[in-house]
Amino acid sequence: MNTLNADTLPTSRLLGAYWTETRYEFMRMLRNLAFGGPILLVPLGAYLLVAVAISADAITKDPSLAYILFSGFSTMAVTMPALFSVGCILALEREAGLMKLKRAQPAPTGTWLVAKTLVAVAFGVLAYLPLLVCGVVFGGVDMDAGALAAMSAVLIAGAIPFAAIGLFIGSLVSGSAAPGYANLFYLPCIYLSGLFIPLPEFMHAQTVIWPAFHLNQLALGAGGVDKYHFLPPQLYAAVLIGITVIFGGLAIWRLARKG
Amino acid sequence: MNESNSPEQRLHALDAVRGFALLLGVAFHAALSFMPGWPPGIWAMNDNSPSQFLSDAAFVTHIFRMSLFFFIAGYFGRLLYQRLGARAFWANRGKRILVPLVAGWIVLFPAIAFIWTVGITKVFGGTTPPMPEMPKVPGAFPLTHLWFLYQLLLTYVAVLAIRGIVARLDPMQKLRGLVDKAVAASIRTMTAAFTLGLPVAAALMSLPMWFYWQGIPTPDQSLIPQVPASVGFGTAFAFGWLVHRSKDALAAIVQRGFAHLVIAIVATGWMLHTMHASPMAQPGLTKTVYAMVFGVAVWGWVLGLTGAALRFLSNYSATRRYIADASYWIYLAHLPVVAAFQVWVGHWPLHWGVKYPFILVASFAVLFLGYHYLVRPTFVGQLLNGRKYPRKNPPPTAPTSPSNVTDLGNAGAVARLSGVTKHYGKSTALAGIDIEVRAGELLALLGPNGAGKTTAIGLWLGLIEADAGDVMLFGGSPQDVARRRRLGVMMQDVELVKELRVRELIALAASYYPDPMAIEEALAKTGTTSIANRPYGKLSGGQKRQVQFAVAICGRPRLLFLDEPTVGLDIQARETLWANIRALLADGCSVVLTTHYLEEAEALATRVAVLAKGRVIASGSVDDMRSLVSRRQISCESTLAPETVRAWYGVVDASRDRNRLLITATDAESVVRRLLATDPDLRRLDVREAGLAEAFTALTREAA
Repeated sequence: MNTLNADTLPTSRLLGAYWTETRYEFMRMLRNLAFGGPILLVPLGAYLLVAVAISADAITKDPSLAYILFSGFSTMAVTMPALFSVGCILALEREAGLMKLKRAQPAPTGTWLVAKTLVAVAFGVLAYLPLLVCGVVFGGVDMDAGALAAMSAVLIAGAIPFAAIGLFIGSLVSGSAAPGYANLFYLPCIYLSGLFIPLPEFMHAQTVIWPAFHLNQLALGAGGVDKYHFLPPQLYAAVLIGITVIFGGLAIWRLARKG
Repeated sequence: MNESNSPEQRLHALDAVRGFALLLGVAFHAALSFMPGWPPGIWAMNDNSPSQFLSDAAFVTHIFRMSLFFFIAGYFGRLLYQRLGARAFWANRGKRILVPLVAGWIVLFPAIAFIWTVGITKVFGGTTPPMPEMPKVPGAFPLTHLWFLYQLLLTYVAVLAIRGIVARLDPMQKLRGLVDKAVAASIRTMTAAFTLGLPVAAALMSLPMWFYWQGIPTPDQSLIPQVPASVGFGTAFAFGWLVHRSKDALAAIVQRGFAHLVIAIVATGWMLHTMHASPMAQPGLTKTVYAMVFGVAVWGWVLGLTGAALRFLSNYSATRRYIADASYWIYLAHLPVVAAFQVWVGHWPLHWGVKYPFILVASFAVLFLGYHYLVRPTFVGQLLNGRKYPRKNPPPTAPTSPSNVTDLGNAGAVARLSGVTKHYGKSTALAGIDIEVRAGELLALLGPNGAGKTTAIGLWLGLIEADAGDVMLFGGSPQDVARRRRLGVMMQDVELVKELRVRELIALAASYYPDPMAIEEALAKTGTTSIANRPYGKLSGGQKRQVQFAVAICGRPRLLFLDEPTVGLDIQARETLWANIRALLADGCSVVLTTHYLEEAEALATRVAVLAKGRVIASGSVDDMRSLVSRRQISCESTLAPETVRAWYGVVDASRDRNRLLITATDAESVVRRLLATDPDLRRLDVREAGLAEAFTALTREAA
């Protein structure tokens, strides 16, 4: 009698499947420069313009401003690729029927999910590293290595909730509409969470609804910048985990049903 | 006597026990607002009509309900582990336990906190006292009633770690063989309740502050494992696991079920008596004896109730199955609902004998309605119970035997749809069809657009679920990834990743299979070697189909689904693809082909199934199909007008193609005789049998 054991993947092949999926997901993103280029370069360019060129005098007067600008633009750097790469690419794949094919193929559980998330994080790292170098060299970011490493780790991990939101958008809308919807969420999220622009006091309460606010606060907390740290870090982390679970869960549920 | 029950029947009984333990938890929590002497703030509400009876009843259920749950969880845990293997086991537990824990907590905790605030404010006459803070100890966390999921996950980790160590130390299974025998013997000799009660008693005796009523203290305030709960529930889980190992243990539980119940009742009666005299355990003999009697009572109830269920509830019952399915959701969601009703009725000037049943009935009504409409037919039901039931579905059928799970089918049907119905809104895509794909054959699914072909394939591929009927793939569910490792798929209207090269696309698909072809082999077989390094997005339509075919066959499938595979192919590529299909068939692979090119089906098909309006209107070999249509094609050079010929007896249709007259006739002989008689200049007469195309046209026209 035939048994399922004959059709189980040995561990080496199982890991190989995850690796292959991730590798090709990364390669396709690298080859899609029209898509990847802007989301990698825009945060760096904006940081250099705002934090280095425009705010140099202000940073001299208040050195802690360097941290908040660095953290804000770093948040932008890691979250943009996560949201846009995952959301838009997934929507295009759905439109092309690729997700339906993937459901029919015997891919190990969640290979595409792992691949997309890891690539989103990897692209976040690619976008963040030049910003980190510029921040340390030109932007007045003068932290000790431990704090900078903790802040970097939080920022990089912070790509994951945005990848989950990207998944949700990608699972919901068409390929042509996905960039529009992603922007519709992302632009208010970035600006209204007060990452770069001081918000008037009456707008402070609304910042808590934006995940970028929580990530930025958590990053500042990890970096030891207490001046801008409003709530307990566990709460920020819980919100980001909750967003990941809810949006990721909704996306997976929808993709499992509709492809 | 149920000792000869099949494993499947035993599962029905144990499912019922698990559901009972969970639903008992709802009744338990519903009683807590009626506890006499509880200070305000311990629970969401202090009812103005306290009840000693409910206090005692809650105590009795609290003795065993969670131990019973963990015992059954241990039994099913090993069953699942044996069935799925380690990797799939953890994936399954992640979905069924971890996700409900995390998602449930995120949703339920705010709701519980809100109800508690409202209730306590009401208890304190409108002023909200300061909320009790979490203890300032490492790991403090308000797990709420979802602690049991967390405890279960910890227990899985511990038991599987122990299992791994034992497997290394005891490769010949000698020790485990002895343990199996000891498990059954301890139940049969009635020593199990006493020996298993010892660790529980020891853990309870070690507690410096122990209220008898609380039994095993609930570990709902910390992420750090608590000793009494870990010992008590861990023992229950481990024994459930061992009972599944032992082939005689369940029979012994049935045999001694009544005796265990007697022990449980006697022990519980003594504990109630003692507890009424002194609710708080004082160090000394009474505490020691009480703890030991408590341990015996726990196991008396666990083994007694399980034995009773195995004896009386082993047969399949749709109602019990429904309740058992619902119980998990109900237990997860019940606390804010029950507490809300408790808060609502707490100050009503009515006797607890009215209010408690009201809370129970109202809570169950809300929870069952929620289950029926929001859970059972949705992804939540899929998550919690492993499947969802469409709202219009008939009552669930008895589950298939566990043995079917590992059976990949025999040499007969490799895939089958039995009585399958599928609706999309008001339109019926499939109306109770039966189709099977046999080993080594090519089944051509033919039919006009909207006939149900794509739906049938979608069901076999696990992309959609049937509203009714059974979908079988290699002896089991197509949702099972292991079964799909025998499939190859070439879908219509699918674009592969355009940035990846052909070679990379094949490598990616091949990575999903246990024993795929080498990339070069797949390229060579499908004639795609010359384009191996070109990006998919730069290929022509025909080349893309070739690549999709390579992706479909690179895993050496035993069943290949080809949906319109030759659309856009040039003649040479089509010949190559046909040759490949024939080679696969010769190798024993089965193929399901949908095509609108009837000559393709005619050239390749072993069998044909013609679908129209969601039904199979004809099925058989190509010759069988032809014979269903007793028409023949007559072709000749004649000056006769088609309109004239069309009016003759036996002529179905007539038309002209340049100088040739084309006639479809049911009575070809008489038509030919009349042609020859009417047109003396008639030349180049040709009569042939109707092809599959004519048969298809006739069949689908009749079905329309």
